[in-house]
Amino acid sequence: MAFDLFLLEVVISGLMTGVMYALVALGFVLIFKASGIFNFAQGVLALFAALALYDFLSEDGWFFSLFGFTLPVWLAIPATAAIMIFLAWIIERSVLRFLVKQDQIILFMATIGLAFVLEGLGDLLFGSDVKPLNIGIPQGASDWALDTFNLYIEKLEIVAAATAAVLVIILAIFFQKTRIGRALRAVADDHQAALSVGVSLDKIWVIVWSVSGIVALVAGIMWGSKSGVQFSLSLIALKALPVLILGGFTSVPGAIVGGLIIGVGEKVAEVYLGPYVGGALENWFAYMLALAFLLFRPQGLFGERIIERV
Amino acid sequence: MSDSTESLMGTFPQLLKVRLQRDGDRPAMREKAYGIWQTWTLNEFCNEATALAAGLSDLGFQRGETLVIIGDNRPRLYGAMLAVQSLGGIPVPAYQDSVAEEIQYVVEHAEARFIVAENQEQVDKSLEIKEHCPRVEKIIYCDPKGLRKYDPNVVVDIQEVMKRGRNALAKTPDLVDQEIAAGRLSDPAIILYTSGTTGRPKGVVLTHENLVVTAKNANAFDNITADEETLAYLPMAWVGDNAFSFAMGLVAGFCVNCPESSSTVAQNLREIGPTYYFAPPRVFESVLTSVMIRMKDAGPFKQRLFNYFMAVAKRTGVDLMDGKSVPLMDRIKYALGEVLIFGPLKNTLGLGRVRVAYTAGEAIGPEIFDFYRSIGINLKQLYGQTEATVFITMQPDGLVRSESVGTPPPGVELRIEDNGEVLYRSPGVFLEYFKNAEATSETKTDDNWVRTGDAGYIDGEGHLRIIDRAKDVGKLTDSSMFAPKFLENKLKFFPEIKEVVTFGDGRDFVTAFVNIDLDAVGNWAERNNVSYASYQELAAHPQVYQLIQECIEQVNQSLASDAHLSASQIKRFLILHKELDPDDGELTRTRKVRRRIINERYGDLIEALFDGRTRCFVSTEVVFEDGRRGKIEADLEIRDATVHQTTSKAA
Amino acid sequence: MNDRAQDQILLEVDAISLSFGGVHALTDVSFDIRKGEVRSIIGPNGAGKSSMLNVINGFYHPQQGTITYQGQKRSQMKPHEAARGGIARTFQNIALFRGMSTLDNIMTGRNTQMSKGLFWQALRIGPALREEIENREFVEHVIDFLEIQAIRKTPVGKLPYGLQKRVELGRALAAEPTLLLLDEPMAGMNLEEKEDMSRFILETNEEFGTTIALIEHDMSVVMDISDRVVVLDYGRKIADGTPEEVRANQSVIDAYLGVSHD
Repeated sequence: MAFDLFLLEVVISGLMTGVMYALVALGFVLIFKASGIFNFAQGVLALFAALALYDFLSEDGWFFSLFGFTLPVWLAIPATAAIMIFLAWIIERSVLRFLVKQDQIILFMATIGLAFVLEGLGDLLFGSDVKPLNIGIPQGASDWALDTFNLYIEKLEIVAAATAAVLVIILAIFFQKTRIGRALRAVADDHQAALSVGVSLDKIWVIVWSVSGIVALVAGIMWGSKSGVQFSLSLIALKALPVLILGGFTSVPGAIVGGLIIGVGEKVAEVYLGPYVGGALENWFAYMLALAFLLFRPQGLFGERIIERV
Repeated sequence: MSDSTESLMGTFPQLLKVRLQRDGDRPAMREKAYGIWQTWTLNEFCNEATALAAGLSDLGFQRGETLVIIGDNRPRLYGAMLAVQSLGGIPVPAYQDSVAEEIQYVVEHAEARFIVAENQEQVDKSLEIKEHCPRVEKIIYCDPKGLRKYDPNVVVDIQEVMKRGRNALAKTPDLVDQEIAAGRLSDPAIILYTSGTTGRPKGVVLTHENLVVTAKNANAFDNITADEETLAYLPMAWVGDNAFSFAMGLVAGFCVNCPESSSTVAQNLREIGPTYYFAPPRVFESVLTSVMIRMKDAGPFKQRLFNYFMAVAKRTGVDLMDGKSVPLMDRIKYALGEVLIFGPLKNTLGLGRVRVAYTAGEAIGPEIFDFYRSIGINLKQLYGQTEATVFITMQPDGLVRSESVGTPPPGVELRIEDNGEVLYRSPGVFLEYFKNAEATSETKTDDNWVRTGDAGYIDGEGHLRIIDRAKDVGKLTDSSMFAPKFLENKLKFFPEIKEVVTFGDGRDFVTAFVNIDLDAVGNWAERNNVSYASYQELAAHPQVYQLIQECIEQVNQSLASDAHLSASQIKRFLILHKELDPDDGELTRTRKVRRRIINERYGDLIEALFDGRTRCFVSTEVVFEDGRRGKIEADLEIRDATVHQTTSKAA
Repeated sequence: MNDRAQDQILLEVDAISLSFGGVHALTDVSFDIRKGEVRSIIGPNGAGKSSMLNVINGFYHPQQGTITYQGQKRSQMKPHEAARGGIARTFQNIALFRGMSTLDNIMTGRNTQMSKGLFWQALRIGPALREEIENREFVEHVIDFLEIQAIRKTPVGKLPYGLQKRVELGRALAAEPTLLLLDEPMAGMNLEEKEDMSRFILETNEEFGTTIALIEHDMSVVMDISDRVVVLDYGRKIADGTPEEVRANQSVIDAYLGVSHD
């Protein structure tokens, strides 16, 4: 009995980590879906968002030194979102616009460059020390889960899971059932045809990057609250890669399921296989899994279109 | 629910007046238009029909007059039927995909002044007909698309007619009610033209009584209630649709759903999930084929899963449905199969909710029949005719066989003539063939028995078996029945056999010519490393002979268990050296065997089959594809097949 | 079509020249399109017909010449501006959104008719939802008009060629265009499909009064459904007039004979 409960705890904690991975992977999927670009800078976007948010909230930030007060959380988040949208617009104006007709590899390289620029900019603006991010998400274990099921679950993780769920639902509806969502998919499918129905490419780029910037903000908040805002945050982008390989690069549900599988897989593997292979399994298990997938199902779990029921 | 109408008798419009009191807000018809299912409540449906009736009356439509309806299944067209019946008129639905000439015959023969046409396509046909039938006055259409430029004096929007009707009703509110009240049960309710195998179509006149009583009996037979869902997708001119969708629907009060268009039937079926469903055998066959093709494209894991559970279903599915005892382990496996395979499969086919499904019209392959039953669809057979208002026999739940067509439902009597012809008498027996007293008296006896033209017999379980057209049935020398087509069809269910001709009339035993199916046998040859250069060579191969012999012996085995047909087991056969070909006059263009020609051409071969020779030389003149004539010669092997003693006593 | 409408000029191209590098695609081409007419552009392969359409809807920017559309003179515009101005088009090599369903493809055609902001759309509530429903209704009429109900939810990539062409026309029609540009709408179709397509084109023109500019190779179709025809050869205009006039024109005959002797 005790053993089962322990396994359950490991699985749940894996699921929660998985949700965090999924959040980052989502940002990738959005941009990839709409433009076929693998955005290497996605992790840095999350970092940048977390840094900016911290700046609005903290007394040692730029905002305080300029205006002499800090923003409350409910204002700081929209303000950061506005910054992310502004950033998206800058990126479109200064980078993407000039590369529209280039190969995708060129665009990919551009996002690598972008990642370094943003990271440098973050360092320059906000400093490289670890910053605790507290936006009022309750910390510690959930008493309710502990009392009812005798399970140890972090409250933060529950909030993260709920947030991710809401985000995914909104994104799914947005993509499938709205004009802009359709326009995004249209651009991804055929530029010329999209132009002919009156879609403006410049606008679409800004929208896509804004949306993925906002997703990055959410991811940044969650990761920042969990382990502080630090530059290693940009490295979670690398964890998102196996998630994408598992889930398929173009699938929103794929990103979620992929994230969950990786999260659970690496936790379970760490606990049960770790002792035999000498620990630190958590760090490379995801890549092993991704490699296996590349061999047997390169299109990912959801890469293939699922037959639609009416 | 419908107990008030259960006991009540009356014409359709009269019955509906009663039902309206209670069920007015229930959905009566649904139609998918612009991507959305639109519902007509019974109130709305009847209101439209009343308005249309009043409008028609205003246009001069008279009691006893006919009105031709052409179009796909549409609530408005069913409404038009009701409107015409309300006025004491007779709706005449025509097959919507017939060419103008064929419909012209119907319009002319029915002496119709009015046509209700679904859309531009049908209006165009109607106008073409009008040129030859000056009697036609008005063509009323439902869908105005593309019809703006037509002469408004002739071509009228149904909405306009209804508007006219509403105006007339405002002046005389009981205009239509009076006409409804004047209707009698014995009035003709509909004329359905049947495309007879020979000659001109005949107009079968059915009365309100025919339809109402038959619908009530059929509803009672399968416990059809107001809660059923059906999809009306078969031609309105076919008696089945009239019975299943219109008559039974209106009597039981269930909702009839009309598909968006003929090309969306499969999708609409899935959306509606009918509980009561009819389809001819070819539909079941083509659906099965497409399932099998899709499975061949599926991944190996899925395929194995599918094959495993289909084997489980084959073993236990039919028994489970018939309520027989099945070992617990098999029950569990079947339940698992239901979750993993059968359930999802039925859902994609739109048959997930089917409570009762029927097929009829021609023989259904036993494999196909059992497939559907084994995955849990209560598919049954019925035997019927337009002249009987469909139902002559039906299979009761739990007593379903693939080779027979069930027992007569309450109210139907059966009789078998000496020559094997099946006769029936029932409340559904038609009034007459419209304007064709001669044909009527040929088919219907004075005491109301109707000749089906089919030969059959009642088997040991009391089920009717149809074996052939009565005129094709002959006799062996021991005076037992010989039904060539029945045997031939049985053999043709084997994919390896393309064509068969059997001989036995006036002989001691039965023999057969076989044509192999080049695709199926060729495929088999490839798999079994049998090499061949031509059809002739393949047909003469000993292993192919062996293959065909196995098919024939399987048929013999099944015939042996049947007292009536045991003597018809095939004793000797040969595989023809060439394919029977319409170009050589051996088949009709619709691929029916021309026995007379075959007898002339292959007389010696036929004699050889009966006189015990084991080989026979044949030389046939043929026409090649480029029109040249030539000769094919061959020395054909004749084989004996195992014949069984009658086992019916043991069984 | 009434006579008054015929006189109004919807679009006029004046002395258009377009070249890529040193290659002249169009040289000094001028013609006009009147409101409500079916105007065909024909010519041998490589005559510059598609280039002409691309100039009209803003894919190409001519080096010289002007385009006057609905009374406004300009030398170039962007494709999405052309779309907003009521110019819709189809492509010679079908350009559909292959991963999307027929319905979604046609819905994208409504893009220019929909205006509710990102915020409402993100949540698909309030005005955005109402707008979505209204436009879906319009699209359903297009689906009904083109008789493609059965493939509403099918990803267009899986459709046969003829149906894809029809969906593409649907997407263009969904924009309620003032000017509809059709680039070889019947290429690669069988006779029945061509007849269907001709019927849809004529009905669009008659029922909705849409002006249509059409490139087509099948001469019998062109002569049947066009009000006026302009003929291009090697990027120059060689004839312009009614189908009868064009058919009788010697340089047109030469151009076509020349091609057949290649």
